Amino acid sequence: MEISNLPISPSLRSKLLAKGYTNLSSLSPLSPSILAQELSIQCEEAIEILRAIPHATTSKNAYTPHGIIPGAVTAWDMLSEEQMQRHISTGCNDLDTILGGGIHCKEVTEVGGVPGIGKTQLGIQLAVNVQIPVEYGGLGGKAVYIVDTEGSFMAERAYQIAEGCISDILDIFPSNSREFLSCKERLRANNFLDGIFYFRICSYTEQIAVINYLENFLTQNKDVKLVIIDSVTFHFRQDFDDLAQRTRVLGGLSLRLMKLSKTFNLAVVLLNQVTTKFTDGSFQLTLALGDSWSHSCTNRIILHWNGNERCAYIEKSPSLPSASAPYLVTGKGIRGINSNFKRARTMPS
Amino acid sequence: MAAKAPLEEEDTKPQTLLLTGILSNTYRACINTAAPSTAQNPHVTEDFRLPWLTGMELLSDTNQNKHFLPTGLQGIDALLGGGLREGQMTEIVGPSSSGKTQVCLSSATYVVDKKFGAVLYLDTSNSFSPNRISRFVNQTHPSLPKEEKERRLQMIMSNIYCQSVFDIFSLLDLLHHVESTLKHTVKLGGSKLCLLIIDSVSSLIAPIIGGKNSQGWCMMASVGVLLKKIAYEHNISVLVTNHMVGGENGTLKPALGESWKCIPHVRLLLSCCIGANHSTATVLKHTLLASGRTANFVIHN
Repeated sequence: MEISNLPISPSLRSKLLAKGYTNLSSLSPLSPSILAQELSIQCEEAIEILRAIPHATTSKNAYTPHGIIPGAVTAWDMLSEEQMQRHISTGCNDLDTILGGGIHCKEVTEVGGVPGIGKTQLGIQLAVNVQIPVEYGGLGGKAVYIVDTEGSFMAERAYQIAEGCISDILDIFPSNSREFLSCKERLRANNFLDGIFYFRICSYTEQIAVINYLENFLTQNKDVKLVIIDSVTFHFRQDFDDLAQRTRVLGGLSLRLMKLSKTFNLAVVLLNQVTTKFTDGSFQLTLALGDSWSHSCTNRIILHWNGNERCAYIEKSPSLPSASAPYLVTGKGIRGINSNFKRARTMPS
Repeated sequence: MAAKAPLEEEDTKPQTLLLTGILSNTYRACINTAAPSTAQNPHVTEDFRLPWLTGMELLSDTNQNKHFLPTGLQGIDALLGGGLREGQMTEIVGPSSSGKTQVCLSSATYVVDKKFGAVLYLDTSNSFSPNRISRFVNQTHPSLPKEEKERRLQMIMSNIYCQSVFDIFSLLDLLHHVESTLKHTVKLGGSKLCLLIIDSVSSLIAPIIGGKNSQGWCMMASVGVLLKKIAYEHNISVLVTNHMVGGENGTLKPALGESWKCIPHVRLLLSCCIGANHSTATVLKHTLLASGRTANFVIHN
């Protein structure tokens, strides 16, 4: 059930849509005063909107889940919603293909690998790619980039990657087309950097505080579509004595990130380091933070060397089969092996 | 095993059980308000006590109402004597990416497909994938005409309800809500709720237990009791997943410790061997059957 079918005045409807309310389930938990504040309308008007909801749902759809839990959605509704979703391209076609289109919104994706494999490069690439305007097949969102003490986020590098991304877009879309003229202004590397909100954290307390604060921040900045934490591990590997407590804190942290990604319809990407683990008589590389942490993300991607080639491997995903894809780290950012100079991006329909 | 006609379920439900539900409430209210006076008036407790059930009555209740819901994964169904039992709580444990969520999604699909009733899926790690379910549905009858396929898909997917839960308090809220709605209206969008899945229950509980606070253990126990109560009183099968943590000398053991261990009726361990295209399930605990048996099963892409 969409907002567009709701029996309310067109002006209210457009206000709702402008604030990012697209389906009814996002409205139903709100109280009139919050909704009024949100849309800067009168309280009476907000009440009018909320009154319209149950009426519309009971008459249109016989399967409404009212009865059992308010707010529960059927898989059928979720499927059609999911098919409308756009994904954040990684820049590498093969990787996008095995990921089912790119990094998904509403999911927490963990990316791990040995130092120098390109985790931060992928992070910056995603922060740039999430801002590709909708006209060019992107999400037109913004990114939050949370960096630990190591401070691996390099503004110059982000600028390079943004320029690379823009030049690739211009290669694919002819520069005289109507779409191009309409958002020529937005295709500047400066604007791409403006769309990255950067937080630097220097201890795990700050890390927890930032994640707690994110909810407020995201309420004010609804166009943020990606949160990257680079890396989630660093402080938790240094400063903790009590491992049981660390597990608890991390568990709480991951639940909060899950909640953010679901409520604000954004992708969360966690970059993680590797550690060695002793199993079956040999040392093997695994991602840091232990076995309990490995359950706390929706998807897990491992970046590794395959000979001289960089490879990304889907280790865990509820919907995708395990698969592996090679990628390159080039001057322009992350690119596929085959399309080494020109990215053949296909427009999502 | 009794064959099941799930949609008529409500009508054939024995009166005693309905009474049990009503009486137990009155009984509780009575305990709360009139507890001090029971000493003077022993009849109060006498009148409102729960009716006794004899072993034979219990057995016929079990045969009539507590069916096995097949998961659709042959290895697991054989291992569990038919599948997930109604009235019981089944727990799946296993390391990361061992197939716990896949078993949940697959059983949800199969149970609805075989018209046992509706499924409620509580998701804590954003891993409920409608896309995956649609693939499960389509691979069972690949030869159907397109329209038929679409109708079947919609029928199945409209009977799977999903709700995200991100903390223990909202879980308790939801379960209380489910319990009270089930008491009044048992039908969910036309069919009865028969399977409740929580994937994963451990990620909600793990952050609150341990350390110095004992409330965490308390809330864990409440969740367990509530789930088993819903399962028993409304003949619903409850399926939860639990993760593994590193125990002594590097071996993995199920999380949440000893006090959670006694809550689920059935505990099933999943493990997936690297390189092999099947997963292995081991029974760690079962109310009827011997534990320690293993079976292989395959989840198709």
